[in-house]
Amino acid sequence: MKIALFTPCLVNQMMPEVAIATLSLLEKLGHQVIFPQGQTCCGQPMTNSGCFNEAKNTTLKLLNAFKGVECDAIVCPAASCLVAAKENFHEFDKSPEAQAVIDKLYELTEFLHDVAPVTQFNRPVAKKLSLQLSCHGIRMLDLAAPSEYMGPRYNKMEALLSRIDGVEICYPERLDECCGFGGTFSVDEGAVSAKMGKDKAQAHANTGADYVVGFDPSCLMHLDGTIRRRQLPIETRHLAQILNDAL
Amino acid sequence: MQKVIQTHAKAADIFCRDESRVDWHSKALWVLREKRDRAASSLPEWETLRALGSQIKLHTLNQLPGYLEAFEAKCLSQGVKVHWAKDGAEHNRIVHDILSRHGVKKLVKSKSMLTEECHLNPFLEGKGIEVIDTDLGERIIQLNHQPPSHIVVPAIHMKKEEVGDLFHEKLGTPKGESDPTRLTRAARAHLREQFLSADAAMTGVNMAVASEGAVIVCTNEGNADMGANLPKLQLHSMGIDKIVPDLDSAAVLLRMLARNATGQPITTYSSLYRTPKPGGEMHVIIVDNGRSAMMRDKLLGEALKCIRCGGCLNTCPVYRRSGGYSYGHTIPGPIGIAVGADEDDTHSSPWACTLCGSCSFVCPTKVPLDKIIFHRRRLYAERKSLPYGKSGYMPLVGRFMASPLLLDTGMAAARIALKILPHSLLKPMSGAWGKYRELPAAPGSSFEGWVKKNRPELLVKSKGEK
Repeated sequence: MKIALFTPCLVNQMMPEVAIATLSLLEKLGHQVIFPQGQTCCGQPMTNSGCFNEAKNTTLKLLNAFKGVECDAIVCPAASCLVAAKENFHEFDKSPEAQAVIDKLYELTEFLHDVAPVTQFNRPVAKKLSLQLSCHGIRMLDLAAPSEYMGPRYNKMEALLSRIDGVEICYPERLDECCGFGGTFSVDEGAVSAKMGKDKAQAHANTGADYVVGFDPSCLMHLDGTIRRRQLPIETRHLAQILNDAL
Repeated sequence: MQKVIQTHAKAADIFCRDESRVDWHSKALWVLREKRDRAASSLPEWETLRALGSQIKLHTLNQLPGYLEAFEAKCLSQGVKVHWAKDGAEHNRIVHDILSRHGVKKLVKSKSMLTEECHLNPFLEGKGIEVIDTDLGERIIQLNHQPPSHIVVPAIHMKKEEVGDLFHEKLGTPKGESDPTRLTRAARAHLREQFLSADAAMTGVNMAVASEGAVIVCTNEGNADMGANLPKLQLHSMGIDKIVPDLDSAAVLLRMLARNATGQPITTYSSLYRTPKPGGEMHVIIVDNGRSAMMRDKLLGEALKCIRCGGCLNTCPVYRRSGGYSYGHTIPGPIGIAVGADEDDTHSSPWACTLCGSCSFVCPTKVPLDKIIFHRRRLYAERKSLPYGKSGYMPLVGRFMASPLLLDTGMAAARIALKILPHSLLKPMSGAWGKYRELPAAPGSSFEGWVKKNRPELLVKSKGEK
């Protein structure tokens, strides 16, 4: 498939390794990848604060970067940004061109699980992974059944990773409790955010895993800052990095 | 009770200073969440019940006047007196009128968040009427001169040793006694005296059944029944949102209420009252107090689907770590923000949330709590009354993010700063982030920079880009 990469500002500016891994793994899977220029932030820091006016220009700038770009799918390795982009595009532009962009938006896990399923990996990864089930991905994108939900269980990240030889998968206690990042929450509500991050990082470390693996770079950045502050014996990795290593 | 005016973040910061207490509070409530999970998962039809519960409440709220009138007519036909109160003040006046007509000196009350919302206790006490809360948790905090910190377990913030000290002082239990069974026995003996000497009883209402003209009251301790059955005069206060069409719909909600609250299959006592006792009087006071105004906003109105199980508080990672008193409203936690944000003078309660959405998924009637909280923030922004300096800095963030040039050069500078400046210098500049976490390690360039250098053939320019 022809895939346009959507790299939200956090990934583009602070975690390029996640975008590089995403590009590499999509190409190894035989997809043609392009990178539309002029991408910026999805507007989430503003809309999450209630500031829709302040988000408008930013959101439309990002939307414009994808309008008219020829591709089968627009893939993003950041669940929370993808949800925000989808909702904000719809909020600020109700045109058919905008809808065409929205219809092609996929989060990476979702894309690799539902759209162009990856069934086989070539290289073993002998690591123990503690999975980070980030809130927006599981509760708004259906990447996994949330623990509150009593319907059928599913977990797309686990399904993908369990196809890799050698991988051992585990979960922290309170497996899908929020890590406390929450965008500006981490600054406005510093004490509670820090305590949530500390509890989450510790729960991951308690599993004895090598890596905390997730699909949301913002949660991983928060956990990484906490893990290093507390010098916990675990590191963060984006799902794309693990999958890329296995191909 | 003196109202403390401080932002949620400030109150939470103070609560968080005693970390072992935060851990204890968080764990005590998480145990309830785990019990809820076990109880809910034992019913294969749980998600069907939730869908039904949501539909029942939405249906009733959409036809509220009809159902309330039907309820009133049925009540009147059964000899129950019905009163209508537009706000808390009117509710309190009505209650006081009834009580003073009967010369009531002592009122026993069973758990009602509505009377808390109307501040009934201080009102009646000011008129010389003694009010005794009879739910154990409510009695504890009443003796401690505190409001509830949780809607189902109102004294959850107190450790058993603290209850022991309080009972020693107020009820004369032995000093140092902290055994829950012995403390409960002492409370029971004390409460029996209150029931026997009360002139009137008042309860909240879990559901009001329109077809029956009946009110349903759920307790685990039987205190509502002890109250309502002893004195001749009984009063029941209910919000307009408590109405359900019939017993079948009440049954759907009753199957979820206790399961979602504490993991019990059902509350120990789920009693229906629909006629006065012989020679007695039964009054129902139906209260609006802002509810119909809230319903004018479709999304905010969905908050009225709530059946007050407290499940959203138990699952909320912020509530568990900041405590009930940090929200600036009678009802704390996600549902408290949804129904009470307007009463928080600091405007900060809608930001006491990471928008994780756990509350919406735990809710037995599918109140879209995270969407309502998100919407509340937008309403504050539109009223230009944002907390935490957001009205000042958000326009700047908006301009910065909307400009690829500013974003690129700004972030490039930040990456360089992270690389070359000592983090001890940067941390104070990064506010709360650096106070609690290490700053991110800075990459050499942005991804876009990397693509330009290493894979320029990937770059495309959109037709839409201006």
